[in-house]
Amino acid sequence: MSKIEVRDLKYSYENGIEVLKGISLTFDQISTAIIGQNGAGKTTFVKLLKGLLKPSSGCILINGKDTQDTTVAELSKDIGLVFQNPNDQIFKSKVIDEIMFGPLNIGQSPEKAKSNAEQALEMVGLEDRRYDNPYDLNLSDRKLVGLASVIAMDPEILILDEPTIAQDYAGKEKIKGIIKKLQDQGKLILTIIHDMDFVAETFERVVVFNQGKVLLEGNTREVFNNSRLLKEAGLESPHVTQLGKKLGYNQTFLTVEELVQGHRVRQGHGTRFLFHQ
Amino acid sequence: MQSMSLYVEKDTFVHRIDPISKIFYIIASIAISFILQTFTITIICLVINLILLLTGRVFKNVLPLIGYSSLVLVTIVIIQGLFNPGNKTALFELGPLTFYTEGLKFAALICLRVINILCAFSVLILTTRPSNLIEELIRKGVSPKIGYVLSSVLQIIPQMVSTMGKITDAQRARGMETEGNLFKRIKAFIPLIGPVVMSSLIQTRERAMALEVRGFSSPSKRTFFNQRHTHRYGIYIQALLILVTIAAVVWRIIE
Amino acid sequence: MKKIVVENLKYRYPGTSELALDDISFEIEEGEFISIIGRNNAGKSTLCQALVGLVPHFFKGAYGGQVKIDGIEVGNSELHEIVAKVGYVFQDPYTQITGSKLSVEEEVAFGLENRGVPREEMIDRIYHTLKLLGIFEHKDKNPYELSGGQMQRLAIASIIALNPEVIVLDEPTSQLDPQGSEEVFQAIQNLSQQGMTVVLVEHKMEKIAQYSDRVLLIDKGKLIDFDTPAKIFSREDLLNYGVHPPVYTQICQQLGKHKDGVYPVTFDEAYELLVKSYV
Repeated sequence: MSKIEVRDLKYSYENGIEVLKGISLTFDQISTAIIGQNGAGKTTFVKLLKGLLKPSSGCILINGKDTQDTTVAELSKDIGLVFQNPNDQIFKSKVIDEIMFGPLNIGQSPEKAKSNAEQALEMVGLEDRRYDNPYDLNLSDRKLVGLASVIAMDPEILILDEPTIAQDYAGKEKIKGIIKKLQDQGKLILTIIHDMDFVAETFERVVVFNQGKVLLEGNTREVFNNSRLLKEAGLESPHVTQLGKKLGYNQTFLTVEELVQGHRVRQGHGTRFLFHQ
Repeated sequence: MQSMSLYVEKDTFVHRIDPISKIFYIIASIAISFILQTFTITIICLVINLILLLTGRVFKNVLPLIGYSSLVLVTIVIIQGLFNPGNKTALFELGPLTFYTEGLKFAALICLRVINILCAFSVLILTTRPSNLIEELIRKGVSPKIGYVLSSVLQIIPQMVSTMGKITDAQRARGMETEGNLFKRIKAFIPLIGPVVMSSLIQTRERAMALEVRGFSSPSKRTFFNQRHTHRYGIYIQALLILVTIAAVVWRIIE
Repeated sequence: MKKIVVENLKYRYPGTSELALDDISFEIEEGEFISIIGRNNAGKSTLCQALVGLVPHFFKGAYGGQVKIDGIEVGNSELHEIVAKVGYVFQDPYTQITGSKLSVEEEVAFGLENRGVPREEMIDRIYHTLKLLGIFEHKDKNPYELSGGQMQRLAIASIIALNPEVIVLDEPTSQLDPQGSEEVFQAIQNLSQQGMTVVLVEHKMEKIAQYSDRVLLIDKGKLIDFDTPAKIFSREDLLNYGVHPPVYTQICQQLGKHKDGVYPVTFDEAYELLVKSYV
C-alpha cells in the first residue's frame, strides 16, 4: 500500500473557481519536492492531503485512510504539515510546551510526548532553548520550533511549506540535514519550495504543478532535464543544470560537485585526444 | 469580502446626499424630539425618518435593528406600565398585574423616541459608504490619525478572517479538534486566541513603522485620491435643519 | 556629493547589551545598486533601518556616528523629512499595508495623499506603478484578499509610487516564485538606471551578482567588506561570515578557473571562462 494515493483529485473554491483539475499521484518512500508558480495549486493540494480541505471530487488515501472520512486530528497521526509562518501557530510560553502541544493532542502519553519533544529539539539543534519563550527567538529559530512541533508528533509523512524562506546559508544546510535524518528514519518528506538549487541537492523526486494540473513528474534529474515543460510551467532548472546544458554536456547536473567532476573528466579526455593527434 | 459595515449599496436620492448633511439631520431629528416632547412631534419625526428610509430603499434593513432592541423596549413597557410613580388610571389587568395608562403612555413615548433615534442613525449608516464618511470628516478637518483608526476598524473583519483562517489551519494540523461539543470548542479557543493576540501586537508596531515610512506624519496639506462628491443641496439642507432646530427651541421657550 | 555617507555608525537596541551596528563607515553614489549580504542577525535589517531613520527615531536606543543623505544628517532630522527622500520596503508584506484601505489602488494612494500630490498626477503614478509590478489587474481588490506574493508586490509598489531618491528593500522577493523574483529585480534595475539609488538586502547570491554594482558584507554588526560582486564573492573566507558565493563562483573556485585573481560571478562570465578551457 502506498503511503499516499491521490485519485483524480479535483477541487474548487466556494465561488466556483476550479483550482485543481484532476490530479492522480502516488507517493511512497521517495522524498519529493512540489514546485510550480505561485497560484498553481500547490498549497491547496497540500492542504487537501492533510485533510484541512475536502476534495470536490476524487479521493485521497493516506496510509489507506480516506481523507473524506477521517478527521484532521485523526489524520495528524499519519501526516504532518509545517506551515510557512511560525507566528500563526505559536501560543505557549515555553518552547518545550509548544512542541508537546501536537503530540498530546493526538493522544501520546505525557511521557512519550516529552521524550518525542526532546528528540525533536535535538534534531533541530535547539535543546538549550527548551525553556525559552518562543517569541524571544529570532524568526529562523522560530521556524525550527514550528518544524520540531510537527516532528515530535512522529508522523510517517511530513509536508514542509517553503522551509527555506528567510533562511541564510547555515539555516538551509541545517534544514537539509534534518530532512536527510528524517528520510533515514523511513519517513516520507514532501516539500513545497521555490529554491531549485535546494531541490536538486536534497530531493530525489520532483512534481511540477501548473494551473491546477501535474505537468511533469519523475526523478529530479529527468524533471530538470525537461527545459521545455519547465518553461511552460514558468520555472527554470537549477543554476548548475543550466550552465551544464549551455556548456554542451549531455548529462543533467544537479550539484556543483557533479559539474566540476564532469568538467574534469571532459578536460581529461580532451587532453588525451590532443596527445593522440 | 465584506468590510464591517451595515452599508447597503444602492443609488437613491438619499444615498447621494452628502454625509455631513446626514449627520446634521441626525442631530436635528433627535434634538427636536427631545426639545418638543409631545407625541405629535415625535411621530412627525418618525414619519420623516421612515419616508427617508423608504426613499433610500433600505427600510427592510432597519427592521432587524429594531428587532434587536425590541427586548429592551418591551421591558420598558412592562416596567413603566406596572411601576411608574405617576400611575393612577388602570387600563387593563393581566392576572394579578395591573397596567396603568400613565405608565404606558410614558413608555410609548420612550419607545417612539428610541425607534426614532435608531431610524435617524440608520439613515446615515445604511446609506453612506463608511470610507466616504470618514474621508468627508477628514476633509472637514478631523485629524487623519483619527480617520485612520476609524477606517482600520472597518477592515478588522477581513483582516481577522484572514489571520484566523491561517491560525485555525495550523492548530488543526497539530491535532486540535475544532468540531464537536461546546466544551471541545471552548478548549480549542485558547490555542487560537494566543497567536491572534501576539501577532496583532507585533503587527501594530510594524504597522506604525509602515505608516511613518509612507509619510503619515508629513506636514504637507493632504490631497485625496477619491473624487469629491459635490452636493449642491448640502449647504441648503444643513441650513434648513439648523433653522428648524432653532424654531423648535423658540417654540419651546414661547410655550 | 555622495548620495549616502555613513560615518562611524554605532547602534544598540534598547534593553540589549550588544551593539547591533559596530562602527560602520561607507559611501554610496547616486544611482548605484548596492546589495547587503550577511548571515541572519548580522545587522542587515538594522543598517537598512538606520538609512531610513527608523533607527534612531522610531527605535530609540543608543546611537552614535552619522548617516547623511544628500548631506542631511538623519539623526538630526525629522523622520518625515527623511522618508520624503528614502523609501523603505519591509521584509513582511502583511504588516506593511495600512490595513485601512479597501482597495489596492487606494492603498498605493495612501502615501501620495499624505504628501499632497495632486490628484491627476496621483492616478498616473499609481497606475504606472501597479503595471510595473504586474498587479494592475487586482487594483480594485481588497488588499487582504491578495496572496503573499501579490501583497509583496503591492508593498513594493506603494513605496515606488512615492518616487523616492533612495529606495531600501529588505528581502523584497522572499515570497515570490523565481519568475516573480526576476520581474521584481528587473523593475528595480530599471529604477536604478533612471537614477534611483538602490540598497537591497537579499540571500539570492546569483541575482545579487547579476544586478549589483557593489556588495556590502556585514557580520556581527561590523562592515567586513564593500566592493564589486567579483571581488566580494572571490573571497576565500566567505563561509566564515555565513555566506556562500553564487553557484557559478563555487564551480570555478573548485576548478581553479579565474581571471586576474577574480572568479566569475554570473552565468555568462562562468560560461565564457569554462568554454575556453577545452577549445
